[in-house]
Amino acid sequence: MQPPTFAAVSSVLVEKFHVDAALVRPETPLDQLGLDSLALMEFVFAVEDRFDVRIPEDRLDPRQAGVTLAQLATLLDEAAAAKAGGDVASA
Amino acid sequence: MSRAPEPRAGAPVVVSGSGVVSPTGVGLAAFEEALFAGRSAVRAHAVDLPGLEVPIVPIAAVAGAAFDAASVGAPSRLPLDRATAMALAAAEEAARQAALAIDDVDGERLGIFWGSGMAGATTFEQTCRTVYADQRRMRPTSVITTMPNAPTAELALRYRARGAALAYACACASSAVAIGEAMRAIRAGWIDVAIAGGSESLLTPGVVASWQAMRVLAPLRAPCDDAAAARACRPFAADRAGFALGEGAAAFVLESAEHARARSAEALWHLAGYATNCDGVHITNPDAAGQTRAMRAALADAGLTPADIGHVNAHGTATLAGDAAEAASIAAVFGARGVPVTSTKAIHGHLLGAGGAVELLASACALVAQRLPPTANTGAVDPSFAIDVVTGAARPAHTLRHAMSSSFAFGGTNAVLITSRVG
Repeated sequence: MQPPTFAAVSSVLVEKFHVDAALVRPETPLDQLGLDSLALMEFVFAVEDRFDVRIPEDRLDPRQAGVTLAQLATLLDEAAAAKAGGDVASA
Repeated sequence: MSRAPEPRAGAPVVVSGSGVVSPTGVGLAAFEEALFAGRSAVRAHAVDLPGLEVPIVPIAAVAGAAFDAASVGAPSRLPLDRATAMALAAAEEAARQAALAIDDVDGERLGIFWGSGMAGATTFEQTCRTVYADQRRMRPTSVITTMPNAPTAELALRYRARGAALAYACACASSAVAIGEAMRAIRAGWIDVAIAGGSESLLTPGVVASWQAMRVLAPLRAPCDDAAAARACRPFAADRAGFALGEGAAAFVLESAEHARARSAEALWHLAGYATNCDGVHITNPDAAGQTRAMRAALADAGLTPADIGHVNAHGTATLAGDAAEAASIAAVFGARGVPVTSTKAIHGHLLGAGGAVELLASACALVAQRLPPTANTGAVDPSFAIDVVTGAARPAHTLRHAMSSSFAFGGTNAVLITSRVG
């Protein structure tokens, strides 16, 4: 997990979803953020758009118990790396 | 043919709180200051529609410096449409003024009654741009953010209302109807307390261009400036030429006299009468006969006569046909120059579904201050109108005890509310 990635995820949660900043830590599971399943989907869309990437559906179901913010940030990093690789390959 | 029974007056309902987000600023103080000063918030506005030539139009927007929709937390934790954020902000001020402690209110006796013409319009247009222009995926919350009862639903969550949550959409009468229906529900004993009002934010390129296409917006000559735009809307004037669109929200806490007494809430003013009907003759043309019937029915509902009314806050859109019909209906009810008349639309713009609520607030400000706000911008009143238009500066009204606020909508819906001073 890249610290800037987590910082961006954190800012989306606090600014767009009004989640208490004290709750936003790498080890916090998504299902402990006080967001319902629809809001969690909206949150994942929002961070994907922030990084202009898509996390493959088979890699993440945000409703699944225990998935942490750190894991989400790592998936975003991987998606960004895959995209950069793809862009290089197609260049 | 049988005739309807004679209407009987209903009990007045207590108004214990009000709140507003309008182009004149956020909150009651900013609203009242601009209202009595007759200061217009209308500015020149270029429509952002690439490839289309849309003239510059007059718009009364809520300034970003005054209101940050993103700072409003959603009770649902989902994204909010701009209009819903305004609704929550207005309701918060109203609940605060009413000292309405939600923990002390029986949720099953609390209802939300909310009016909007096109709630969620800003988000809806964004979703259309997302799929058609940007060719990007939709957000999972698009439906919930754009639905017509989105503000109603968020308000119900915020205030834990379990008695009723009803959304009213009848164009420019929407929020006047919502407030009137809340009053009826309280009088009938269905609920004890209501948060009622309306919100609207339709200043999207597509909607503004649609209104412009109707040729009802006051034209601006290019190159135009904000000062020219601020003078563009001139209700009841001989040289009137249309209105300016606006955005905003107003909310009220209504409660039965018993409920207010039981919680020692102060009555700011009373909602004394309400009537709604329909012209039933044309989709857009106003009908003086329908308006006349609505005003008389509201008077009967309040148990008042025309002579009791000291001020009319008119619908007054500044269109050629609209003002002519309303001048005729006001003269029919009150007699020639029988009551002072103001249209506040030159100040805050035409707020569409939120108009009835914001204009009721203007009416109540006049009632409490015993001072009539001016019809901003209007110099010479149309000489064919037999009405007393308040022009220039605010007019003192030391004997004002009852006031009327009218909303007349596309689709023919008329709604008239009457307010009374306490005691």
